[in-house]
Amino acid sequence: MRSVAVLVVALGLSACSSLGGEGFGYSDYSLVRAKRVSVGDGSLVVTAPQPWNRHRPIWFGDIRQVEDWTQNGATLDGISFVTGLKDGKSLVRQRRTASQQVPIFRSNMTAPEVAAMIESLYRVRGGSVDFKTLSLQPRPFLNTSGFQLDYEHLDDDELWRRGRAVGAVIDGKLYMILLDAAKAHYFDATLPDFESMVASAQVRRG
Amino acid sequence: MCARCLEVSRRSLMLGGGAVAAALHTGVANARIRPQDMVPLIGPGYRPTERDELGLWKEMERVEEEVAGSNLLITDPKLTEYLQNLIGTVGGPAAKDFRIYLARIPEFNAMMFPTGFAVVFSGLLLRMRDEAQLAGVIAHEAGHFLRRHMIRSWRDEKRKTDLFSIGAMLAGVGGAGAGVYLGDYVQLAQLGTILSLFSYSREMEAEADAMGIRSLAQAGYEPMAMSTIWQQLIGEEEASARYRGKHRRKGSLFDTHPSEGTRMADLKADALELTVPGKVYDRHRERYLSTIGPIRPMLLDDQVKLNDPGASQYLIETLAQDGWDGLLRFYEGEVWRLRNRPGDEPRAAQSYAAAVAYPDAPADAWRWHGIALMKQGRSGEAKAAFARYLKMKPDAPDAAWVRQMAG
Repeated sequence: MRSVAVLVVALGLSACSSLGGEGFGYSDYSLVRAKRVSVGDGSLVVTAPQPWNRHRPIWFGDIRQVEDWTQNGATLDGISFVTGLKDGKSLVRQRRTASQQVPIFRSNMTAPEVAAMIESLYRVRGGSVDFKTLSLQPRPFLNTSGFQLDYEHLDDDELWRRGRAVGAVIDGKLYMILLDAAKAHYFDATLPDFESMVASAQVRRG
Repeated sequence: MCARCLEVSRRSLMLGGGAVAAALHTGVANARIRPQDMVPLIGPGYRPTERDELGLWKEMERVEEEVAGSNLLITDPKLTEYLQNLIGTVGGPAAKDFRIYLARIPEFNAMMFPTGFAVVFSGLLLRMRDEAQLAGVIAHEAGHFLRRHMIRSWRDEKRKTDLFSIGAMLAGVGGAGAGVYLGDYVQLAQLGTILSLFSYSREMEAEADAMGIRSLAQAGYEPMAMSTIWQQLIGEEEASARYRGKHRRKGSLFDTHPSEGTRMADLKADALELTVPGKVYDRHRERYLSTIGPIRPMLLDDQVKLNDPGASQYLIETLAQDGWDGLLRFYEGEVWRLRNRPGDEPRAAQSYAAAVAYPDAPADAWRWHGIALMKQGRSGEAKAAFARYLKMKPDAPDAAWVRQMAG
């Protein structure tokens, strides 16, 4: 698989890196209609209040439990669904030898530890030079006690972005919905959709 | 997963091209350039007169405008004044002409632009142990300007016509990708190309070292400070690579510089030549620490949260050679917690426990100490630690969560 990846790069095809960034393949966007849809590996169901765009990797290199949507393009806004990330896994695929690593998830993690994991994700992979936690508070999610993290970060493209993550650890696995968007306009514009999807989220058992 | 992971990783992909361009410059190691042979090629108030250099300055003025207005800059007046004074001390004849900007980027780096403005990365301030070391880096950068390296290398490139076309192409790619950060200061591809053409030859780096150490000694700093910078850089890169089970990374910015080992040896020899027996040199450690003290927690935070445990641990231990404190012990714990390999949780817990024993332990040390205790089932002690945290930081952004835990 790795040799294929190298080949793609060597040929200089217009390969989009996957969201994980470490694998390469083709990817595109597909329409998400305003109805009830399953996301990630299918274990979470949400109701989209209006159409969104799902980033769909066609090739390899992504984490099956993570799915990304956007309204106006990934630079401006995005909602990510984490559907049962297991112990020892990270939110993005990464090379073992990369010197900077997104921390791995552990099933015994508390909310501040998950928050720190998210912060390092932005610093390591999102080019954030400043990251401020605005608030971390308990919040019920998926009928269990979870957390809500609000944050903002200054990225190397000199833009401030704002984010909100609502999550919970269920049976040792991380379920989370995360909104990240440009602080000016886009965060506020997409927040109602995000909140409505958080409220509608359900774990699909079996 | 994060909106911009996509874009950033694409740029780091192009970094490969930049490394090739840089490799074109690396030749065989030269004989040591002696500091006494290094004379500044320009005087105070230098302005270009020739057409190509005038054009270059015009472009660079636009770059400086970008840089000066960037919100990545740390604009604390005390810090910027300190840096401006430093370059004013070791900047030779151009001392009064330099401008210096401090960018919040957690990397070991500084760069000089052709018109005499320098950008120092905040990661440099974290790594320097005293003022003499920082002055050494700044003197080196000033050396590039005093020796007119930018225009010389630009003209050099143009002479090598064949190489230029290939080099320009690769450099274009490198320019856009190389500075994962620099690229953002310079959003126009054309400027990116121009900048990447300023990869200095080994000889120029050696010249800047010799020029720099001469200025450093003239300003009364201990000349030996400069070679210890390279010692630390090599140590850090090795530690980082060892953690990931690979060799020291190539293609870093410092790759175009003469190999660090050679530079370190040459600078040691220079220092011995320049050291006047019996003269008392000061490294101004206290003054340095008191100046950067207020931002040191931020600098450590920016580094440690990159989760590069090898490099971070090396850095913390290097800084701790001047004495452990609560802040360093806390960040030692953070390194283990973020690494999160089997056995790291108790290791982090020990560091937090050690940190809170110091009077200068930051509030966050108490919170993580509390979480560690809670996970060990020591809820009584955990509650006390949380209470201490909330007392120190009543407006903590996670106060609601902590209160529930302390409940």
